Amino acid sequence: MAFSLAVPRSPAEAVRLLADAPPGGAEALAGGTDLLLDIDAGRVAPSRLISLGRLPWRTLRRSGGDLVIGATLPLRDLERDPRLPRDLPGLYRAVRAVGSVALRHRATMGGNIARSSPSSDLLPILLALEARVRLVGPSGPRELPLPELLKGPRETTRVPGELIAAIVVPARRPSAYLWQRVRPSNDISQVGVAVARRERPPYWRVALGGVWPVPARLSSVEAILDSPDPGDIAVELAAQEAARCAPFVTDKRATEAYRRRLVATLLRRALREVTVP
Amino acid sequence: MRTDAPAKVRGRVEYGMDLEAPGMLWGALVPAPVAHGRIVAIDASVARGMAGVRAVVTGADLDRLLPKGGGDPERRLLPTEEVTYRHQPVAVIAADSRAVARAAAAAVRVATEALPSVDDIEEVFPDWPGAEGPGSPQVVAHVHALHGDLDAAFASAELVVSQTFRTSGVAQVALEPHACLASVEDGSYRIRTSTQAPFAVRSDTAEILGLAESRVVVEGSWVGGGFGGKASSLVEPYALVLAIASGRPVKLALTYREEFLLGRSTLPAVVRIDSSLLKGTITGRRVRLLLDAGAMLPGRDFATGYAIGFLAGPYRIEAVELEGYAVRTHKPPFGAHRAPFAAQCAFVAESHMDAIARRAGIDPFDLRLAHAWREGDTTPLGQRVGPFGLREALERAHRQREAWRADGHGSGGIGVACGFWSTGTGAGGEAIVEFARDGLHIIEGEREIGSGSVIRGLVAVVERVTGLPPAAVRVDYRDTRSAPFDSGVFGSRTVGALGQAVEKAVRKGMGTLAARAKVPEVRLAFDGGELWVVTRGHKRSLTSLLTPAERALGHLAIGGRHYGRSGTLEESRVREGEFYAYTDFTASVVLAQAAVDRETGAVRPERVAEFLDVGVALDPEMVRTQMEGGIAMGLGTALTEETLWTSAGRLANPGLLDYRIPTLGDIPPIETVIVEGFPGAGPFGAKGVGEPPIIPVPAAIANAVLDATGAQVTELPLTPERVARALKLL
Amino acid sequence: MTGGEGTGNAALALTVNGRRRRIRAPDAERLLDTLRWRLGLKGTKEGCRSGGCGACTVLVDGRSTLSCLTLTHEVAGATVTTVEGIGRDPVGRRVQAAFARENAVQCGYCTPGFVVALTGLLRERGPKLPPERLLEDLGGNLCRCTGYAAIRRATEAVCREVG
Repeated sequence: MAFSLAVPRSPAEAVRLLADAPPGGAEALAGGTDLLLDIDAGRVAPSRLISLGRLPWRTLRRSGGDLVIGATLPLRDLERDPRLPRDLPGLYRAVRAVGSVALRHRATMGGNIARSSPSSDLLPILLALEARVRLVGPSGPRELPLPELLKGPRETTRVPGELIAAIVVPARRPSAYLWQRVRPSNDISQVGVAVARRERPPYWRVALGGVWPVPARLSSVEAILDSPDPGDIAVELAAQEAARCAPFVTDKRATEAYRRRLVATLLRRALREVTVP
Repeated sequence: MRTDAPAKVRGRVEYGMDLEAPGMLWGALVPAPVAHGRIVAIDASVARGMAGVRAVVTGADLDRLLPKGGGDPERRLLPTEEVTYRHQPVAVIAADSRAVARAAAAAVRVATEALPSVDDIEEVFPDWPGAEGPGSPQVVAHVHALHGDLDAAFASAELVVSQTFRTSGVAQVALEPHACLASVEDGSYRIRTSTQAPFAVRSDTAEILGLAESRVVVEGSWVGGGFGGKASSLVEPYALVLAIASGRPVKLALTYREEFLLGRSTLPAVVRIDSSLLKGTITGRRVRLLLDAGAMLPGRDFATGYAIGFLAGPYRIEAVELEGYAVRTHKPPFGAHRAPFAAQCAFVAESHMDAIARRAGIDPFDLRLAHAWREGDTTPLGQRVGPFGLREALERAHRQREAWRADGHGSGGIGVACGFWSTGTGAGGEAIVEFARDGLHIIEGEREIGSGSVIRGLVAVVERVTGLPPAAVRVDYRDTRSAPFDSGVFGSRTVGALGQAVEKAVRKGMGTLAARAKVPEVRLAFDGGELWVVTRGHKRSLTSLLTPAERALGHLAIGGRHYGRSGTLEESRVREGEFYAYTDFTASVVLAQAAVDRETGAVRPERVAEFLDVGVALDPEMVRTQMEGGIAMGLGTALTEETLWTSAGRLANPGLLDYRIPTLGDIPPIETVIVEGFPGAGPFGAKGVGEPPIIPVPAAIANAVLDATGAQVTELPLTPERVARALKLL
Repeated sequence: MTGGEGTGNAALALTVNGRRRRIRAPDAERLLDTLRWRLGLKGTKEGCRSGGCGACTVLVDGRSTLSCLTLTHEVAGATVTTVEGIGRDPVGRRVQAAFARENAVQCGYCTPGFVVALTGLLRERGPKLPPERLLEDLGGNLCRCTGYAAIRRATEAVCREVG
C-alpha cells in the first residue's frame, strides 16, 4: 500500500517520470477516485504515483466546432458549463450520472477513460459523439479515435509513459444518454445507452455500456437508422437489433436476459428523446 | 430541539471511531480464508517480525493470556481447530499504526484444510425438513406451535391460497463502523466503545474471555448508528485480548468491508404459507419458515421463535400452525437489525393477505378489517392482546387511500400493509435520578444512540411526571461501574421499560421530599436555573430538604427499577422449541403508492403514509423522526438492499458500491400519523417506536406493485429485474 | 501516528479552518487521516472510506471533497474547511442551525458531511437555486437514521433563508 508521490509541473516531466518507471511500478494519478480504491483493495500496487493535478489540463475550450475537454478538468466543472445541457444533452446527463458532486469535484474525464471501466457512464456517450483523444507521450503527441484507445477492462492501448491530455467532441450534437440502475441515484449502471445524431449521413451513432468488458458502438444498429428522423418501425427494428448484439455479461448487477431487455427499451427511449422535439 | 444536536452539527461529539489514548496501538483482524475448514497452521512469523508490530494473538495464545485457560470453550474467541465462516477472525494483531497492523494481518499465513460448506438453506432441505429435520446437525433451532383443527379448516375451505416467499439478507449499514478502545488499568479491564448496551458488552466480554465481570468496566461512547448491530459485543473482546497481550491501550475499528462481513447482517429465509378461506373468512393458516442462521451456535438463535409469530399476522384465525427451522450455514451468525426479521415476515404475511383478497375478490382493507385483532383477542400462541390500535390505524389508512385516489397526485398503484410489534418491556433495567440544585440528572450507562429515546424519551418521562421544562433535566452518562444496570437501547424498550424505572425513581424522590417536608405531596419548579420544591404553594430550596451527607454530595440520589413481566404463552399450543412471548402489542399500518415502469420493472415510490399506534406520544416530533427513518430503511429493504451470498461463504457486495441503501433522492414524500388511545405498559401508556415503523413498509410497496400491475413479486427486494420477471418481461 | 503510510514524508502547508498549518505527512496519507489524526479535527467522520457515504466530506478551496479519496499532498497549499470551521461562514452557520432546529440530526455521524456538502453547494450556486436540484446534489451523503425527511426540511429552510 505504500507508494511515493511525484507532482510534476509540466506534461513533459510527467511523461518522463512515467516512462522512466519500471513497468507496473508507476501509475498516473488524476482525480484518484477510482485508482485509490483499487490500491486500497490491493488490486494494483504501484510503488509510485505521478500526480497530474498540476498539469495545465484543467481546461475547457470551444474551437472550430469542437469542444476540447482537458483531461484533468474535474467533471463537476464540465457539468457546470452553462452551454453543455443544451449543446450536448447526452454528455451532460452522462457526467451527472458519475458518482456524487463531491466525487465529481475530483474525478476527471481523462481518468475515467484511462481507467476504462466496463460500466463507465462516460464511455458510451463519448463513443456516440465520436470522441477523439489527444495523447502526449515519449514520442510526441498523437490523436486517436476513442475506440482505438480502448482495449479491455481497465486497459488502454497507451504506450508506456503516454498520457491522455484532452478529449475532443463536437461542440453541439443532439444526443441522449439513458441508464438503468437498481437504485436510481448514485449507483453503477446495469446498462447505459448513448445515442447521438449527426448532421449528415450516417446520421446515428449508438453505443452501449455496462454490457461488455469494453463499451462499444453498435454499427449494425446505426446502419438500420438511415434517417435523421426514424419512424416507429425503424426505431423498433433498431431496438431489436441492439438486443441481438448479445452476448452481454451476466453479473451481480443483472442477468444477460435482463440486459437485453434494457438495451432495447433504453435505445427506443433514447432515440425518441433525440428525435421528438 | 434535541440537546445533542448543537454539538453534533459542529462535529463535537466523540464516537467510538474517534477514541484515542496516549500510547495507543491499532488492532487488526486476521480472517479465515475459507468458509469451512480445519485449521492446519497459522504462521505469523512474518507479521511478528514486522517493524511496529507489538502483539500477535492466535487461538493457541489465548490459554496463556487469559486467566481461565482461553475463556469460554464454547464461544472461544479465536478458533484453534475449525473455522465456520469466511473472514471469521483467527488471529489478531496490534501495531503502532493502523496501516502496519493491517499489513501485518495480511502477512499472516492461515493454512486450512477445506471442508464442505453449506451455502444455501434450500440445499440442506430440498423438500422441506421432514421427520429428520429437528434432529439434523444443521438445525440450530426448531419451533412448532399449533392450535385449532387445521385439517378441518383446509378440508372445508372454498379457497386455499398456497405461496412461497423468499427474502434476502440485509446489512446494518450504520455509518460508523464498530469501534472500541480497550486497556488494562490497575487490574481492571477498561473498554470504551460504540455500543447500544454497555452492560451486555461487559457480560459478553467477561464470559467470552473468562474474566471476572466485576473487573470489566465498559463506558459507552457516542454511537454512529446502532440498529441492533451494536447491541452485544463484537470488537471488544478482540481489542481487550490485544491490550492484555501488549500491555498498551488498543484501538480496534472494523473496516467498512468488515462491517459487511462480520457486522451482523440478517440472512436469507424461505417461507411457505398456506391459508384456507370460507365465506370471506380465513379459517386456517399454516406457516413454515426456513431461516438461514449462519454460523449461529445451537441454543443462541433468537430470531426464529421470535419472528415466526409475525408470520401469522395480527389477525384472528381459528386454526394456525407455525413451524420454523433455524438452519446453520457457513456464513457469519445471523444478526439483529431493526425489528429483526419482522419486516420480512410482514412482507410474507401481508403479500399473502393481498393474494387472498385478490383471489377472493375482497378489498384488501375489508379483508384486514374483518380479521384484525382487537383488545382481548388471542394470538396463535395464546397470548391475550392488550389495547391495540390496528383497526383505528387501518380505518385512517383507508380514508387516506380514498383521498389519494381522489387527488390524482400519484399515478401508481396503492398498497396497504399491517405490522405489529412488541415493546420490549420484559428486558429489565434500573435508573438513578439525582435531585440536584441545577435540576434532575438521569444517570445512565447507555449513550443516546440517535433515536432520541434516551436524550428525549427518558427526559420527556421526567417532564411529564414533574411538569419541569426540558432545561431542568439532563442525562449523565457513566461507565458500568457507576451507572445502574440496564439491558440496553434496543427492542424499542428504552422509554417503555427503562422509562418506567426513571418514572419510579422520580416519583419516589418526590415522595421522599414530601415526607421530609411533612406534606402529602410536593411539586417541583425550575426557576433561575435552579430546582425548587413547592410544598403547599410555598417555594423552598432543595437544599433545605437534603441531609448533611446529601448536601455534601450535592444531590439526593434515588433509584428506580423495572424488571418487567414477560408475556405468557399458552403451553398447550407450543409443541416444540422456544417461542418468544410478546408484550405490549403495537400496530403499524403503511399505505404506499408506487409507479412501475412496465418496460423495465423499475419501481418508483411516489408517497408513503404511516399510521402508528404509539400508546401515547411523549414527544411527537421524536416519534415522527423515528417513523420517517424507519420508513426509509424499509424502502431499502423493499427495493434495493440485499447481501449477495455466492458460493463457499463469499459475499459479492461487501461495500456501499453494490449494497445500496436509499439516498435522499430515493425517498418520496412521507406522511406520519400518530395513533393514540391504546395505551401500553410504558410510562403514561407509551409504547416503543423504534422498530414498528419499518415493519409494514416492504409489504406495502409490494402490494402497491401488485395493485399497479396485477403481478406479485414474492422475493425481497423488489429490484427492477425481479419485477421485470414478475411482469413476464423476460 | 495512524492511517498514513508511504515512502516519502515531505512537508506541506494547508490552511485549515482559517489557520495556516505546516505539517509533514507520508506521500500516501489521505486528507481524512491528516485532519483526524494529525490535526485532531475528528469532526470529519470516517465512514466507508471508499467514497460511498460522504461522511468524510470537507471543502477544499470551497468545493465539497471526499477526504477519504484525496491524498493530502495533492491538495498542498489549499484552503480546507471542516465541520469545525464551517460555522465561520454565515451560510455554514445557517445550515448548522437548520439541521439542529429541524431535528435533521439523529446519531449525527452523517451530519458533518451533510452540513459541509450543503454549505459547499449553497456557496457554489449562489443564493437563487431550486431546492429540488440541491436535494439531488446531496445524493452522495448517506444517512441511515433520519430517512432524509428532516434533512429535506432543513435544506428547504436554509434555501428560504438564503434565497
